[in-house]
Amino acid sequence: MSKWNDLQEHSFLESNARDRALGIVDDGTFTELAGPFDRLSSPHLELLGDAVAFDDGLVSGVGRIGKTPVFVVSQEGRFIGGSIGEVGGAKMANTIKLAIDFHDKLVADYPDLSEEEKPVLVISFETGGVRLHESNAGLLAHAEVMDLFQKARGKVPVISLIGSKVGCFGGMGFVAAATDVIIMSEFGRLGLTGPEVIEQEMGKEEFDSSDRALVFRTTGGRHKYIIGDANFLVADTIAAFREKVAELAPLPVAAFEEMRRVGSPETVERQVRGVALAAEMHPQDARDVWAKAGNDDPASLTDMPLAAFLGQVKRLSV
Amino acid sequence: MALHTVEFDIKLNTGTITIDVPTHTGVVGSSDMEVLMEPKDLEGGVSVRIVTPVTGFDDLWKRVLDKFVNETALSDTRIEINDNNATPAVVLLRLRQAFSQATTD
Repeated sequence: MSKWNDLQEHSFLESNARDRALGIVDDGTFTELAGPFDRLSSPHLELLGDAVAFDDGLVSGVGRIGKTPVFVVSQEGRFIGGSIGEVGGAKMANTIKLAIDFHDKLVADYPDLSEEEKPVLVISFETGGVRLHESNAGLLAHAEVMDLFQKARGKVPVISLIGSKVGCFGGMGFVAAATDVIIMSEFGRLGLTGPEVIEQEMGKEEFDSSDRALVFRTTGGRHKYIIGDANFLVADTIAAFREKVAELAPLPVAAFEEMRRVGSPETVERQVRGVALAAEMHPQDARDVWAKAGNDDPASLTDMPLAAFLGQVKRLSV
Repeated sequence: MALHTVEFDIKLNTGTITIDVPTHTGVVGSSDMEVLMEPKDLEGGVSVRIVTPVTGFDDLWKRVLDKFVNETALSDTRIEINDNNATPAVVLLRLRQAFSQATTD
């Protein structure tokens, strides 16, 4: 197992799922649940003759940041693109269930608990969505997780971390959007249909997935931060993500409600205004939207250092 | 079609080293593998189980594991591997990583 101290300054982008889970909570507090020694691997992949993993590509567990119990789900992109199948999906859903049950029991047993002492859930996404080898079970898991988010609302805040290689796409893009708050690094990517699938379906003229600059300014952290899909943009280290989670963890649950993108009449209206703006603007490039947000020199935003970017960027308000 | 499982035992007369803690290393990425290494009373032996999509390389697996067990003088250990087309060099590297983790933690 990696050493916690060494992990902190590690690139979040390059860290595997277990290192991210371990490093996001306080030193020595992480307990993995349904870990590799439980040998819960996918029965479907085995039948198909595809390689299996002892943890089915998903790390689940619980730790602590300060006084806050932190339930953690962390996806491994190197195992079949971080895809969600039956076992990984069940691990994800049950971690959320556990967080909610824990919250209910804690609040019942200790009615005068401070906000800081109530649990939060952190999900480190690295996934393309459903694992096609076991698509029904994978889709079901997506639905189950979204349903559980609704049950968690007003109880357990759900915090998304997006800054890993694969990004967060497909069904899990919807799942991330349904969480309370999204923290991204500039190397994180978030979307529904991935760049290669758009190119495949609509042609290279519509979207050239080999143009990495285009891919990043359309799905990457900086763009998502400007248009409001991401609440926070942090540096690419485990420590930076951890600091932001530590800052959010003690907040009252009502504060998380205000950070949401979906799930209330106000957020629906905001989304509709966003769609209307897109229809009116017909942006040809993400930079058009950055300019609309009030950034005079949108092209310069791509390459400037993160601190300078955060200091001067104007975010879209609709 | 189904996954291929290779199982064998290795026993050295010179095997004296045991590991302290169970350890897990690696990710089943493409051309990579993961390994569980656990202390287990096997009367000085090492028992190995490999699950892999690849067939036809059972002898090579045996040779790589023999080399690893020989160089470490490992004994009383259970090794379980999930492989995804790792080359022998990668296999040896991951085994050495797991061993160093299991003996220095």
